[in-house]
Amino acid sequence: MGRLSTEELTSLEDSLARLLRDQSPMTAVRASMETEDSFSQELWQQLAAMGITGLLIDEEYGGSGAGPVTMERVMEQVGATLMCGPLLASAVLAAGVISGSGDHAAEARLLPAIAGGDSIATVLLTGPKGTWTEEGVALTAAPQGNRWTVSGEAHYVLHAANANCWLAVARTDQGLALFELDRKAQGISCNRQRSFDHTLRIDQITLDAVPGKAIGTPGCGWQAVEQGLNQALVALAGEQAGGARRMLEITVEYAKLRYQFGRPIGSYQAIKHMAADLIIESESAVSAARKAAAELDARSSDYPGWISLAAFACADAFNRVAADGIQMHGGIAFTWEHPAHLYLRRARAGVQLFGNSTYHRENYVRALGG
Amino acid sequence: MREATQSELDTIRSEVRAWLEANWNPAWRNQAVDGPNRITWLTRVVEARWAAPRWPVEWFGRGWDDARGRVVESEFARVGAFGTGQDRTNLWSNTVLTFGTKTLKEQLIGGLLRGEINMCLLYSEAGAGSDLAGVRTRAEKSGDEWVVNGQKVWTSRAKIADYGMLIARTNWDVPKHKGLSFFFLPMKQAGVEIRPLRQITNESEFNEVFLTDARAPAANLLSREGDGWRVLVTALAYERSVMGESARGPRSGAAVERKQGEAEFVALAREADRLDQPEMRQRIAQVTALRRLNDLNSARAKAEIAQGSSSSIMSLGKLAMSRILHEEARLRTDLLGAQSLLEGPDHPRAEDANFLSLNAYFTSIGGGTDQIQQNIISERVLGLPKEPEVDRDVPFREVRGG
Repeated sequence: MGRLSTEELTSLEDSLARLLRDQSPMTAVRASMETEDSFSQELWQQLAAMGITGLLIDEEYGGSGAGPVTMERVMEQVGATLMCGPLLASAVLAAGVISGSGDHAAEARLLPAIAGGDSIATVLLTGPKGTWTEEGVALTAAPQGNRWTVSGEAHYVLHAANANCWLAVARTDQGLALFELDRKAQGISCNRQRSFDHTLRIDQITLDAVPGKAIGTPGCGWQAVEQGLNQALVALAGEQAGGARRMLEITVEYAKLRYQFGRPIGSYQAIKHMAADLIIESESAVSAARKAAAELDARSSDYPGWISLAAFACADAFNRVAADGIQMHGGIAFTWEHPAHLYLRRARAGVQLFGNSTYHRENYVRALGG
Repeated sequence: MREATQSELDTIRSEVRAWLEANWNPAWRNQAVDGPNRITWLTRVVEARWAAPRWPVEWFGRGWDDARGRVVESEFARVGAFGTGQDRTNLWSNTVLTFGTKTLKEQLIGGLLRGEINMCLLYSEAGAGSDLAGVRTRAEKSGDEWVVNGQKVWTSRAKIADYGMLIARTNWDVPKHKGLSFFFLPMKQAGVEIRPLRQITNESEFNEVFLTDARAPAANLLSREGDGWRVLVTALAYERSVMGESARGPRSGAAVERKQGEAEFVALAREADRLDQPEMRQRIAQVTALRRLNDLNSARAKAEIAQGSSSSIMSLGKLAMSRILHEEARLRTDLLGAQSLLEGPDHPRAEDANFLSLNAYFTSIGGGTDQIQQNIISERVLGLPKEPEVDRDVPFREVRGG
């Protein structure tokens, strides 16, 4: 299949929009966030059937190879609907890390099941620092005969309890390396964390000499991680752009319906001026996310800079639109029943995942030559 | 007209290319605004019917559609030639063509396209800025002439202008939008007095224009008496479509030494020895991002329009640009620190930072303040309801001004 034509992309977007309208309305999102798994298996299977879980995986490993441009558009809808599930963790980040390892045996062993949605994978990456950088890694691996064991702490792991495939980034004598952990081994402690974004599943993991199979060459682990993180940042940017757009729509619609002092609050300049500022934010986020996806897809010489730009521009835009949107609503958005806080919760989560905006701005300055 | 096939477009392309090769001199590249060969070149372009190919044959055009017109424009752009696309961008001739009397068209359109006739705008007044429909300059019919009295402001190029596009009140007994008429007022006459305004940038590009029994022939009324607001709205749309991308840069002329691929603010920060300051690094990222994001938005808008769908992003550009200019100027100032206390040619960086800080208001006030722009975006793009206007249905005579 490979890269999609404009018509194919539109058709995929339409099918996904129908699926999410039917299977992931706000009531379903709320139901998911109350469950142990934090997502619906049924919806997951339908996404897989539609090929969504295999978009970033090459055809030879069971995916469609549609690439980041398509995934970014999918994520815009994920953000708009607040869809729950391990798409980002498994089909984007973990799949990217495995592909980035260049270990063809591991790709052939792991990727087809991830592409088909039968396997859910996640990456144990950062430690208690929560920085998603090389310095942040807090797992260590030691050789034991012809095998490895991995020990230490991994924090902020997405959907770990739901995942059957755990990929650990760990320090070794030869540098950072990547391991597929034996999920059923002794010495694993996986603790569900209370996540501020209730639609997100976050676990903290402690490993004590857990056997792991090396993926790729030890010492080249961070290259693999970077490929996964680049894909994840672009996908997350798309999710944030979609979330920002929808939150603004919800707010504007309410401002037309809510009357105070005998007229719609949307006719007051205090509200209008905020709304006009927010559409610049949300549309800039859409432009930034799509540009980053296109540049990553083309592997252009300056794609890291475009990804950094999208990372902070989209995170900050979603956060601002969600926050100001609540203020513009007034009291109704201070209630649990109103969806506004769910958008703000996801926006706040996205600012921290895979590095915060300050970190991405610093990377952006470097890309600008500074 | 029928949609052009690819081979027709290719034929047009080679025809334009050959004509440019035979006629265009690259040395004229920077003479689009003024320059010794400007009129000579424009005259050639008009005679060859490249100036306004989308216009009717009767008025210097070829009756072409947009796709054909774009081909001409892209060929001109390729060699850096100006003068085509006036059917899209020439505010003056488009306004005359759409609303002018036959006499006025015959008198002006050719000269406007050839750049022989200079124009200015007589819109704003001291008491009618954002609320342009509240103008109080009056025009009264006297025989086959209109007699104009009042005062206009923010008129650039008034001294060299042959005509001013004038909005004036012709009926005081109807609500404000209904009593306006639109004229081409001859500027070189006794009743027109021009006084330059000194701006906060210490420059004088704008003027005040005092009109005392100034005269305009009856044929210089556009559309009908009382239809001036509609003409004005159309003219403003032309103006906005070319504004926003035209903001001025630094005026000192001092170059910044830039390494390969380096962003301007990185170079300025290095020069100021502040590139290692984390706060400045964050702000460089933020400010550079604002401009890049706006460029991405414009590119996306243009792509959407090229695919035949309308784009609401286009109308965000002016508001976004005003933010960019203010933020950039603020960062330039903070990179300089105490040096920004100074100005003048001995202190070019300070001169630029201070000039740009003040000139940013040109964009955030001129052509509709940011706040008016926010109203427009929220109403036309987001569909929020208009604010009630207390003077909308009142005879203008009873409306309070000041």
